[in-house]
Amino acid sequence: MMDFPQIFGGHWPAVLAATVAIMGFITVNALALIWLERKVSARIQRRYGPTEVGPFGLLQTLMDVVKLVGKELITPDHVHKTLYLIAPVLVFAPLMALLSLIPIDEGWLFHDYDIALVLLLAFSSLNIIGIFAAGWGSNNKYALLGAVRAVAQNISYEIPLLLAVIPIVIMTRSLSLYEIASAQASYPFILVQPLAAIIYFIAGTAETNRAPFDIPEAESELVAGFHTEYSGMRFGVFFLAEFTHMVIICSVATILFLGGWNGPVLPGWLWFFLKVYSLILVMMWFRWTFPRLRFDQLMSLAWMILVPLALVNLLATTVLIKLL
Amino acid sequence: MADTIELVPDASDPETYFLNMGPQHPSTHGVLRIRLHLEGERILSADPIIGYGHRAHEKMAENRDYLQFLPNSSRIDYLSGMIYNLAYCQAIEHALELEVPERAQIIRIICGELNRISSHLLWLGTFVLDLGGFTPFLYAFDDREKILDILDSITGSRLTYCYGRFGGVTMDVDDVFLRRTADFCDYFKTRLNEYHELVTDNVIYQHRTRNVGVISTELIQDYALSGPVLRAAGVAQDVRKDEPYGGYERFDFDVPVGDRGGDCFDRHTVRMEEMVQSMRIIEQALACIPDGPIMAPKVPKRIRPRAGDYYFAVESARGHFGIFITSDGSDVPVRNKLRTPSFVNVSTMPVVLPGTMLADTVAVLGSIDIVVPEIDR
Amino acid sequence: MIKETIVGARSLLTGMKVTFLNAFKKPVTSQYPRERIEMSAAYRNVIVLVEKDDVGSHDCIDCGMCERVCPSFCIKVEGERPEGMKRKRATRFEVDFALCSECGLCLDVCPTDTLGYSREFDQAGYGRNDFLYDLLVPYREREETVRNTLRTAEAEAAAAKKTAAAAKAAAKKAATETADNGDETPTGDGDDS
Repeated sequence: MMDFPQIFGGHWPAVLAATVAIMGFITVNALALIWLERKVSARIQRRYGPTEVGPFGLLQTLMDVVKLVGKELITPDHVHKTLYLIAPVLVFAPLMALLSLIPIDEGWLFHDYDIALVLLLAFSSLNIIGIFAAGWGSNNKYALLGAVRAVAQNISYEIPLLLAVIPIVIMTRSLSLYEIASAQASYPFILVQPLAAIIYFIAGTAETNRAPFDIPEAESELVAGFHTEYSGMRFGVFFLAEFTHMVIICSVATILFLGGWNGPVLPGWLWFFLKVYSLILVMMWFRWTFPRLRFDQLMSLAWMILVPLALVNLLATTVLIKLL
Repeated sequence: MADTIELVPDASDPETYFLNMGPQHPSTHGVLRIRLHLEGERILSADPIIGYGHRAHEKMAENRDYLQFLPNSSRIDYLSGMIYNLAYCQAIEHALELEVPERAQIIRIICGELNRISSHLLWLGTFVLDLGGFTPFLYAFDDREKILDILDSITGSRLTYCYGRFGGVTMDVDDVFLRRTADFCDYFKTRLNEYHELVTDNVIYQHRTRNVGVISTELIQDYALSGPVLRAAGVAQDVRKDEPYGGYERFDFDVPVGDRGGDCFDRHTVRMEEMVQSMRIIEQALACIPDGPIMAPKVPKRIRPRAGDYYFAVESARGHFGIFITSDGSDVPVRNKLRTPSFVNVSTMPVVLPGTMLADTVAVLGSIDIVVPEIDR
Repeated sequence: MIKETIVGARSLLTGMKVTFLNAFKKPVTSQYPRERIEMSAAYRNVIVLVEKDDVGSHDCIDCGMCERVCPSFCIKVEGERPEGMKRKRATRFEVDFALCSECGLCLDVCPTDTLGYSREFDQAGYGRNDFLYDLLVPYREREETVRNTLRTAEAEAAAAKKTAAAAKAAAKKAATETADNGDETPTGDGDDS
């Protein structure tokens, strides 16, 4: 285990260094993911995507961020000032905290919390408050509709998410991400828990409001959903939050089901990132293939299909663990 | 209409609210405004407000003579521009009792059916786009480009064709055109399988369109519906079969009908099947196109239909398109009324929408396939 | 219920296969301005006056047909009859391309086929008046020479017609006078050099 306070000479410098590392990772990750999304969507749609700015369009996102930063931050007149201004922060801040929990390689993590999984699930719920604050504070019917839908969707899909994670906890008898990943040195848990993996992935896609579950930002129905009234860098923060959330969900999926950093030949952290980004590619693939689910169908998918399946899976796991 | 529809229910109820699917909206396919009264997600009443795209085509017809109206005819419904252009030519030929040579008739049929396929392709792309699937839109447009390039090679334009003239067509087709059309039909047959795999069989798409927006046979007795909307409800009516015009009587094709009562999925299957039938007509036409002139031998220099009323109807991609001309024997018509199918089809909105959810509004509107400039003319 | 779920899941996977396969096909974008698509031969564009070989210039005779047929009322033609000529020549041919809808009706009615489509599609301007094109610009310099040529050609044609008519009359006269004579006296050509 890396001893951060010793390396950085003290507790608070370590905290500062960790914060800088996380902020750096978020920024670079968002830049890379936005470029990847644009390229993947373009190729699926038989077009080129960004090609002009930088080789293969790699600098396109950077230039877009520069453009966003230069935009005027317009605050519409009749918004609820406090809620409107604090919403982007509320959406983004919990995710920053969550990134500090994720172990990348053997010994590469900030701190081994023994309840990391619980913390993760708890903090993911916090960003719902931010979404609702954005919708309500915007004083706009479209935004309110989008926020209401987002809240209902996120709350509903947390149940299957949780239920899909519990069998893994039962198997490894630990809530610590580090220990769960270490326990998969010989084989990844997806081989013994395929149903839980699928349920987790579907619920995770719904948690991040990605298609086919992107009702809250349904472009063709509600213009832009809960972030209709946001422009410039404020909108950029929502975007950053979405991509960071994607990385977190996929990292947790990698750790729980795909074996984390375990794998032959290549160094552990490389395996980890390869797995995480493959899962993100699959999420992008989903987005550009499927139409959107209607809201009530989304809810019935969560409650009538995913929750019973997850419960059955949980029951089967406990029975098998008891027998074996 | 049997009962009047309560368009503004109790506005003081705090549980309900008004929402404007305004003139500027990503999925109203033009400048259509629908005023919705909602309770949560359920729609209590819907009121389409038209007129934002009024361009005064019918008034322009009264200030121009018959030949000068030709460019206007394509622009009424720009997605079926070829069909409308040829319909206007045929209307005047009907008024003048002018015989069109056979080669010109076959060419008109081929171009009209190609136009129908391109219109349905655009419908497919935009409909799935409204439902949230971004990719079939681009695939459909790629296929549509092929049709547009084929039509560009003989007419010179991609969307607003001014190809027909009274008595025939402007430019003759050559073997390159015929071969390109045949190649396109071969290519498109396999491409349709891809669309079925990606869209029609997709469980999410089926859930979004089955049992949504049912326009049943009872409703069509109150409204003069036509086109795929009508056929999806189970009524096999098609102007090309009921009142054949321009040579359609010699071709063998089916009129697809829906079998589930007229929901959005029915309209989808009807339009996909119509594309297949259009290809069937095109192939038969390519096989039997004769040599000959493309213009009638004696076209009058001044177009002056005898005084009276003339009506001519065709089957456009959206339904029954009719042109009604009142002439007083001079160069300029007294009245040129255009009976457009979208105008009638959209008037069912206040009856179909209440009771559905907000997301279904988009689905129903998209599946009826309106072109707003055609509503407002 | 189970069967429906399985069929549904299978349909989702088939859809993913379609997008996956399409992602590896060549993109259909043509990257303008480096790659340009060929304009079709029949492409309807802004109109120009076409040079006719037998005249050496445009052949607009100011008949006014295009002005009358235009649905957008955007053509203005004026002409004059030059001295010693029967044919008129256009002196002003202005088209307002802000109004023109490029329908091609003017090409259809032009009796001398001197109207044609341009191949330049990228017209741009800063204001409404930038689109008032004078189609006679390429032809103004040589107008005088062309008129001279046409005048001479007309005079020649008139003289030729005269001599031909005279020869025909003489032949007719010779035929009636020497009715029993089989051969006819050949007459000379009216060829003045």
